[in-house]
Amino acid sequence: MVSHQENNTRRIAALDERAETLGLKHGMGIADARAMHPAVEILEHDPEADRRLLEALADWCDRYTPLVAIEGKDGLFLDISGCAHLFGGEKRLLDEALSSFLHQGFDVRAGLASTAGAAWAAARFSLPPVEKGAEKQALLPLPLAALRLPAETRERVESVGLKKAGMLLSTPRAPLARRFGKELLLRIDQFLGGVEEPISPRLPVSPLSVERRLMEPVTMHGEIEHLVSLLAPTLKSDLERRGEGARALRLSLFRVDGFVSRIDVGTSRPLRDPALIRRLFQEKLAALEGTIDAGYGFDLIRLSASVTAPFEAAQADLSGENLAGENPDGEEEVAMLADRIRARLGDGAVLKPLCVESHIPERAVLQAPFAERLPSSSSTPSQFGGNVSILPQRPVRLFGHPEQVAVTAEVPEGPPLHFRWRNVTHRVARSEGPERIAPEWWLASGQEQTRDYYRVEDDDGHRYWIYREGFYGEKTSHPRWFLQGLFA
Amino acid sequence: MAREAAARQTLFALRREVARIEGTLADRLAMPAAAAGGSLVRHSGIVHAASPDFIPTSVPRLDERLNGGLPAAALTEIHGAGMRDTGAVTGFALALASLALQRNASSRPLFWIGTEDGFHEGGFPYAPALLKDYGIAPERLILSRTRKIEDALWVASETAKLKAVSALVIEIRGNPARVDLTATRRLQRRASLAGHPVFLLRQSSGTGAAEAEPTAAPVRLLLAPAPAGLRRTISGPLAGSIGPPAFRVRIDKNRNGLPGQFLLEWNPETHSFDERPEGHAAENNGIVVSPARDGPDPAPAAGTLMAFGEAGSGSPRGEPPGKQYAAYRGSRRAG
Repeated sequence: MVSHQENNTRRIAALDERAETLGLKHGMGIADARAMHPAVEILEHDPEADRRLLEALADWCDRYTPLVAIEGKDGLFLDISGCAHLFGGEKRLLDEALSSFLHQGFDVRAGLASTAGAAWAAARFSLPPVEKGAEKQALLPLPLAALRLPAETRERVESVGLKKAGMLLSTPRAPLARRFGKELLLRIDQFLGGVEEPISPRLPVSPLSVERRLMEPVTMHGEIEHLVSLLAPTLKSDLERRGEGARALRLSLFRVDGFVSRIDVGTSRPLRDPALIRRLFQEKLAALEGTIDAGYGFDLIRLSASVTAPFEAAQADLSGENLAGENPDGEEEVAMLADRIRARLGDGAVLKPLCVESHIPERAVLQAPFAERLPSSSSTPSQFGGNVSILPQRPVRLFGHPEQVAVTAEVPEGPPLHFRWRNVTHRVARSEGPERIAPEWWLASGQEQTRDYYRVEDDDGHRYWIYREGFYGEKTSHPRWFLQGLFA
Repeated sequence: MAREAAARQTLFALRREVARIEGTLADRLAMPAAAAGGSLVRHSGIVHAASPDFIPTSVPRLDERLNGGLPAAALTEIHGAGMRDTGAVTGFALALASLALQRNASSRPLFWIGTEDGFHEGGFPYAPALLKDYGIAPERLILSRTRKIEDALWVASETAKLKAVSALVIEIRGNPARVDLTATRRLQRRASLAGHPVFLLRQSSGTGAAEAEPTAAPVRLLLAPAPAGLRRTISGPLAGSIGPPAFRVRIDKNRNGLPGQFLLEWNPETHSFDERPEGHAAENNGIVVSPARDGPDPAPAAGTLMAFGEAGSGSPRGEPPGKQYAAYRGSRRAG
């Protein structure tokens, strides 16, 4: 029995059959229930947990159709258009789903109809499957509650004596709309199929997916990999028909007890080759070793291409060389390696420096995750042609965050004489500079100060890049020194 | 006479066998009189003709010591003394990578693999400097940053397999147990099969110094920064300026040649090394590389070394005389 708080009293929110046989009722006060039957077990109502359970069930229902939507607090819509034949017909699908739920310990009611409204009513009022065109007959004997109306509207309709849904059908529509609002008519039309009601799936639907149902659940990673390599060729032929390749792939593993594990991998170029797909998942599974709980095994495995992109088949000329002039195999190899590293170690594991138009050194280069085609930046320094000598001198290593150093320097505008960095004092033997870099005022953060950069060399021959932020002699702020990079 | 020739034949066969077992990349072995010139023994005993398997460093004396240059398809260790040497080690590795990239003009990428800690402590390789000073376009640089050293080694060994990589740089701090003979042997083998250089950068971290360990790398270089020379202008050196980067390089281990010590300067315009004579720059305050951890070179082995002497006499230019050669071979086995 589950209790919930309602207007300062705790009332019964839900109860099972055994509690019902004791004479307890929904909405009864907990104090009364305790007085009647001190032995009943009472749990606090937890809407979050209910929601999670419903989502888990929705995940499990993914095995029947990718279009699963959550309805209210306790319902699921499954759009089985085009899926039913896979299970031997709508009736067989319904029976299988119901018996699976029963085996999992759920008491489920289901309705089958060609409109969402009719299916909703069929599930709640235990109707036999409603055939297409028979919605009207089905609606006639039902109470108003079958129309998914807000409680307020329902009361107002009932108050004029229209107790049955069938009565509404024989009433002129215009006065109904005027009196009770458009929603009433909308619901009726949705029930009868006059108005299309799209259900919005909980998860984005992959453009393509292939799946395999297993008589004997699998648990081993090796078996899963093997299944991927069986599914991948099918996916490949589908992708070929569409002239596309997969940019993101998802492997959904449906565990027998209803839990669904989803494994995603991204690719840096559109991908079709089954062997490569298998390798990507091999890496991912190796990285996930121990984190996927196979439990009693997976009985359904689905491989879907969640994002697709046009696939450009490489055109080779007669001599076997690529027309673009580049070495295509090499590029592919590198892209594939990057994908595998990313699959195994995460997106941040392979980076490509991307030059950005900025004077501030740490902003001039972005470490972007590797992708085959990066957004072209207008200021790639290689576009200066061969003339790189006009570029300013920069350190070979740059710290992401400049490190503050304690400096003895000539005042007001001189190079440092000593500095203390990471607890070691360095004496500056020579210095070059300053190179003044003003803040990017057009970006208008307003907090930045002018930097004066010095190249300094200490007694041992180490070369550093140090800058002073701000000026000496200003009343508002005291300048600070930072070390930002190391020269060769 | 006939007996001597037969003995030499046997000796040569034995040395080739040893080279095969050790997987020596390119030991130039003196052939018996029948075969003219040298030959290279590579993996699996496949004998190749002498090939440009070396990256010339453009410093004649260094190339001579290295027996032709840095091995182009092998693992090379570059040691820095401490964290502060990161800049110098990075610069030197980039210089070598730049030389390797100049050899094949393709646009194959340069992989730089390190751990998150390493990049945090030493900073990221900065693309604008790569372009300006080393001629490496930012598009060719691919960084790999991993959380754990195991992952970094995995990425390295997978990348080393690729033929479509121009060079590979792995940055390791301290002496992790993972970077052992097995791991370096794997890198060395994959590098030699794929035909690109792999540079293993080792620096001490806060926890422990990177000491020279037995690894499979044929060449190990100890590196320290040296005070830079002056900027050269039309009107002579500019006083007080900081010129092109200078490095103090010591060949600590060398399977194919001799140890030695050099003062090199990288020329960012021509992308090549120049050797600077000692004491050339006025600022040179005589800083030297820290002494080898295992002391000076071991004493030459005692006894007569007839066989080595014979082999040495027939070897091409640059081969050491018999006694020294024996000492070198002894030290190689030790480390």
